Amino acid sequence: MTTTFDRRSLLKLGAAAAAATMLPRTAFAQAASINYWHTFTSQSEFAGLEEVMKLFAAAHPDIKVTQENIPNPEFMAKITSAVVANSRPNVTMVSSERFADLLAMGALTDMTERIASWDRRADFDDKRFDSITKDGKVYGVPGFTFVDWMYYRKDWFDEAGLAPPTTLEELRQAAIKLTDPSKGRFGLGMRGGPGGQNYIINVMAAFGSPVVDATGTIGLNRDKAIEAIDWFSGLLTRDGAVPPSAANDGFRQVIEGFQTGQTAMIWHHTGSYQDVASALKPGVEFATLAMPAGPAARIARLAYAYNTITSDQNADASWEWVKFWGEPDAAVAFLEKTGYFPASSVAAKDERISGNPMYKAAAETLEFGIPQPSFPGYAGWTESVVLPAFQRTLIGQATPEQAVDEMIDGLASATA
Amino acid sequence: MTNGTSTAAFPGARSAFERLNPIRAIGELSESRYWMYLLLLPSALLITAVVLYPTLYGIQLSFREMRLNRPDLGTDWVFFKHYARMMSDPIFWVALRNTAVWVTSSIALEFLIGLVAALALNRDLPGTKLLAVLILLPYFLPNVVAGHMWALMLDPRLGVINDVLVRVGLLESYKAWFADPNTAMAAAIVVEAWHSFPFFTLLILAGLKGIPADLYKAADIDGAGAFSQLRLITLPMLKTIIAAAVILRVIGLVNSPDLLLILTSGGPGRSTQVLSLYAFQTAYKDFNFGYAGALSVVMFILLMVFAWGYIRLSRFNQE
Repeated sequence: MTTTFDRRSLLKLGAAAAAATMLPRTAFAQAASINYWHTFTSQSEFAGLEEVMKLFAAAHPDIKVTQENIPNPEFMAKITSAVVANSRPNVTMVSSERFADLLAMGALTDMTERIASWDRRADFDDKRFDSITKDGKVYGVPGFTFVDWMYYRKDWFDEAGLAPPTTLEELRQAAIKLTDPSKGRFGLGMRGGPGGQNYIINVMAAFGSPVVDATGTIGLNRDKAIEAIDWFSGLLTRDGAVPPSAANDGFRQVIEGFQTGQTAMIWHHTGSYQDVASALKPGVEFATLAMPAGPAARIARLAYAYNTITSDQNADASWEWVKFWGEPDAAVAFLEKTGYFPASSVAAKDERISGNPMYKAAAETLEFGIPQPSFPGYAGWTESVVLPAFQRTLIGQATPEQAVDEMIDGLASATA
Repeated sequence: MTNGTSTAAFPGARSAFERLNPIRAIGELSESRYWMYLLLLPSALLITAVVLYPTLYGIQLSFREMRLNRPDLGTDWVFFKHYARMMSDPIFWVALRNTAVWVTSSIALEFLIGLVAALALNRDLPGTKLLAVLILLPYFLPNVVAGHMWALMLDPRLGVINDVLVRVGLLESYKAWFADPNTAMAAAIVVEAWHSFPFFTLLILAGLKGIPADLYKAADIDGAGAFSQLRLITLPMLKTIIAAAVILRVIGLVNSPDLLLILTSGGPGRSTQVLSLYAFQTAYKDFNFGYAGALSVVMFILLMVFAWGYIRLSRFNQE
C-alpha cells in the first residue's frame, strides 16, 4: 500500500504543522515570565514593591514578574557581569547617576518609539526623561522620584525655641544648639559612610562649586569646593555637632540615629518617610523640610528610579511592567507604603498626596530641585575618590585643601 | 570473502589494512610511552579550559585598555601602562601595606585561637563533641552574614559590645570602631578572626588525632612539661598541616574583599583599603578592567612568591 500526497494535502499538512509550532509559542506568550532587578532594601520598599506587583498581577494575569533584589553596593558589579555574560534581566531599575555608565557599556535598550506611542506619556513632564535620554533616544520610564528633603525633630526645635532652618548656616547653628553629647544627642546625622558622596557633591554645589556647571563643563571650583568641605567637615571636627561615627555612617545608621532620638536632623529623600514615621509621630515629633540654601545655591536633587528594558526577550511583557509603574493607582500605592514620590504629574496631584501636609516640602522641592550630574565615570569618581577624600578630613588625615585637590585629580583621571 | 581473497592476493595491502586497524593501533599505543599522555589529555584540556584560559585572559587584560564605560578609548594594547601607573598610585601602596597588616594579623590571631581550641577539643572531655560543632558555627556563616551581624554588634549607637564594655567600665561611652582609623582595621581583624579560626581548629584537630600517644608518654617519662611537649612534639608534628592551612588562608584573605566591603568599604579614608578591595572597586565602580587586571596580576604574583617562599622555608614537602 502506498500513500500519495497531492499538492492540496501537502499544503494542508504544512499549515497544520505550522499551526502546531505556533501553539507552544501562544501558550508561552500567555504566561510570559519576566525578571526584575531592583535595589530595594528596606521593609517599606519591599512592601511597596509587593503592592505594585499585586496590582500588576490583577491587571496582567498573563505576565509573571519575578523580582530580584540587588543591594546597592553590589548592583554595578552584578549588572556589569550580567551584561558581559549576556545574561541580563528583562527589566532593571536604573537610578539617574548610573545611566551614563550603563548606556556606555551597552546595557540599555532604546525605548523611544514605545514611549512616544504610550497613552500615559502626557502624564509625565518632559524633564522627567532628561536623565535617561541621550542623543534623542530615551532608554527608560521614571518609576518614582527621589525627592531630597530633610527631617527634623519638631518637638526638640519647639522646646528650644528654634525655627526650622532655611539656610545651611542656620542649620549649623541649630545643630550646635541641639547637640548634647552627655545625652547622646547630636544636631545632624551626617552620612559620611557609604552613600554619603551625594551629599558632599550637593554641599559643594550649594557653596558654588557644581561638578557640571551651567555650560555643561565638568570641573570643580577649587576655592568654593574647599570652603564647602571645610564647612561640612567642620560640623564634626570643629562644632562636634554630628555623631563621631559619621565617617562610617551609611543609610541604616543615619535613619536609626534619627529614629532612636540621637540626632535632631537628617538629610535624605522622601523614600525613607514611612521608615521614619514608623518610629516617630509625624507632625508632632518630627516634620519635613525642603533642603536649606547654601551661600551660592539651594541644592536638592530630583533623581529618578527608571525602569529600563535590558533584554530583548519578552520585550512586550517587559514594556507592560515598565509602563505599569506610571499608572496613578500603582504610583500612589507605592508612595503609601514607602513615601517615594510619583514621577507622574497626574499621580502627584492625587488627593492622597496633595492633601497630606507632610508632603508639602516635597512639592516645594519639585519647583527648584535639579537632577544629579551624569557623565561616564561620575558614579565611580564620587564613590572611589570624593567619599574617601572627605572621610580623610573627618578623621583628621587631610585638610580640606588636600581633599579637594584629591577630588580634582580624581576627576581628571575619571574623565581623561 | 571478497575482501579475504583480495588481501590474500595482495599481502602488502593486508599489512596496510592491519596497520590502519584502529583497535590494533590503540593496542600498540597503549604499550608505548605516549599512552600516559593520551590518558592525561582530557584532564589537560579541562584544566586549560577552566583554569589556564581565564588566568591568561586576566593577564592579557592587564596589558590592554579596557574601560567598560569608555568605549571611545577602545581596547588597544597599552603594554605596561597600568603597571607604570600603579607605581605612582598612592592608593596602591596604601592598599599593599594594609593588605600585609590585614593578612598577617588575621592569620596570627586565627592560628592562635584555632590552636587553643583544637588543643582543648583534643582532650576528649565530656561535651567536647557538642563544643566542636559549636566552635565550627562561625565558619558556616557566609561572610556577608557575619559582616552585617558584627556591624550591628559593634554599632556605635545600638551595639551590644559597646554596651557591655561601658557597663563593665572598660569604655566611658560608646565607640565608633569602624569610624576611627586607629581602630577600624583592628576591629575588622577581630571579626575576621572570629569568622575563620574554626578553619585552623578543624585542620589542627585532625592533625592532633594523628600524633601517636606514645610520644607524649615518652616525653612524660623524660619529665617534659606541657609547654615543652607542645613546642617539641605537637607543633613539629603539625608542621605540614599548619603550613598548608596558612597558605590556604593567606590565599583566601588576599583574594576576598567581601568582609571589609561590608564593614568599612575600605574607609574611613583609606584606613582599611586592601588590594583585593581596590581591584574590585576599580573594576566594578570605575569599570576600569585593565587597571583592575593589573592589580590582580600583582596580587597573583605576590601570592605565588609567598607560597613558594613559605613552602621552601617550612620544607614540609620534603618530609
